[in-house]
Amino acid sequence: MGGRLIVIGGGGAGTAAATIAKRLDPSLRVSLFTEFEDIAYSPCGIPFVHGREIPRFEDLFLSTVDRYVAEGLDMRMETVVTEIDLDRRVITARNQHEGFDQLIVCTGFTWEKPSVPGANLEGLHYVKNIRKAMEFDKVLDTVKTVAVIGASPLGVEMAGNLGHRGLDVHFIDEGPWVLGEVLDPDSAEPVHESLRSRNVTLRLGTKVEAFIGDDRVRAVATSDGEIPCDIAIICLEKLPNTALAQAAGLEVGTTGGLIVDDHMRTKVPGVFAAGDAIEVPHGLTMLPIRGLTGSHAYAQGRTAAANAAGEDRVYDPVWIPWGLVGGDYTIGGFSIGETLATAMGIPYVVAKGVGVSRARYYPGATKTHVKLLAEPGTLKLIGGQLHGGEGVKERCDFLAFAAKRGATLEDLAWMENIYSPPIGALFEPIAIAAQNGLSELRQARKQAAREAVTV
Amino acid sequence: MSRLDIAKQRLRAHAEHHLRVAAMEELRARHPAGTTAPYHERGELFWRRVFVPMYRRVPWSVKERAMRTLRMTAASSGWTPPPRRPAEPWRPPAQAGTEASSRSSR
Repeated sequence: MGGRLIVIGGGGAGTAAATIAKRLDPSLRVSLFTEFEDIAYSPCGIPFVHGREIPRFEDLFLSTVDRYVAEGLDMRMETVVTEIDLDRRVITARNQHEGFDQLIVCTGFTWEKPSVPGANLEGLHYVKNIRKAMEFDKVLDTVKTVAVIGASPLGVEMAGNLGHRGLDVHFIDEGPWVLGEVLDPDSAEPVHESLRSRNVTLRLGTKVEAFIGDDRVRAVATSDGEIPCDIAIICLEKLPNTALAQAAGLEVGTTGGLIVDDHMRTKVPGVFAAGDAIEVPHGLTMLPIRGLTGSHAYAQGRTAAANAAGEDRVYDPVWIPWGLVGGDYTIGGFSIGETLATAMGIPYVVAKGVGVSRARYYPGATKTHVKLLAEPGTLKLIGGQLHGGEGVKERCDFLAFAAKRGATLEDLAWMENIYSPPIGALFEPIAIAAQNGLSELRQARKQAAREAVTV
Repeated sequence: MSRLDIAKQRLRAHAEHHLRVAAMEELRARHPAGTTAPYHERGELFWRRVFVPMYRRVPWSVKERAMRTLRMTAASSGWTPPPRRPAEPWRPPAQAGTEASSRSSR
């Protein structure tokens, strides 16, 4: 096929897009433009270096620029693309015009900034760039009290890790529990306990009204009073970074993300987009959503690359397996939980169960709590949440896939599972939950039948 | 971005926020341990007292149909959900590549 492919963005989607496209079609001339100095590191690991779970920032790097160059990529580091001209098929960077045959836009996200007085003070920190994180880590050595704003996944990780580092952490969010957008209260409770045990003070149901200080923040004014702090870490919403693409005329949808089809194609021929800058449909509702995980961004980048290289690769609507460690506790889920189902008005039945991650007598066994949501009638899986320790992540991955393929509670109740004392118990927690759910449904039906006869 | 697009985004964001807060209140009543009341902005009574109750009164099946009709789903951008039933056996792709091709005949 050949020609020149330009990739804008050096995050998960951009890096995947550039490398996979070159691998699939070596005749492609692939150029990757990124505004940053570094590439191929794990920004998701930054909170754990701050928390001293991981000793060095250098450990987060996966590859080097030289290695990409050796693979035949034209790497344009610290080069900001300032304009895309879709008619002439050129981009502008450093006042130079560069032509392209195909383009993949992977411009990622920016953090939502609080729209309150004092949001421009010194001492407000956003987690993204590894070099800034290295500098910020030195600042953390000089402070005692930190305000973490926003109980998002990053907020939970930062609060837990900074508590682990020995700092006094005030964790502020408007929601009634952490991760309120996705998590249900029963799954949130053990996370709260674990965060408290790490010296994190939870300030939930609390609105940030201003940041107070002369040049530098010294307190956060909230609906619940003033909270002194030495620094504030902002972990609000991830917003798609689409200004460049929009200025070029690419369309955005109702989430603010770029609209693409199931091949990651925009409406302009030869122009693709992937990663945090785009919106993709939820598998259950087909409604566009955005702000997914790094692994989603990577897979979307691969999809765009395969199609740019002449293949026919479809990216499916997402069932969003997710998981993270809140304090010392693992939580996860897929698709929707009770909070989202209730918010959207989606009818569901619940199946709950508790099992163990290994044989109960084997050292290190932890309880695994499983909650499954199923469609009434068909009992097809539509969502779920898990919490506990080991094995939560793998179960969430499996359940998302099972839901995508239409598995029912009946299927899960009779699923096969590994029994090996060090790695798996006789009774699989997912099967226990599904069996409990079916049993409750049978009882409810019998009860309803009895009542009908009585009437 | 047109004013209509901006309005659509704001409408969706507002609707989602208020539906989510109402759902949190409801779930919190069932699981009171360890939770607190979500913060409520002053005002915005329309969303809390009119929109949320009205939205909840409409059955999901009707809402689903309406969303499709109003082209709010990604089907209007060329997306098709894979069937949620056991798939046909895998067959090699017509054009072999380094990466296995995916469903091409959806």
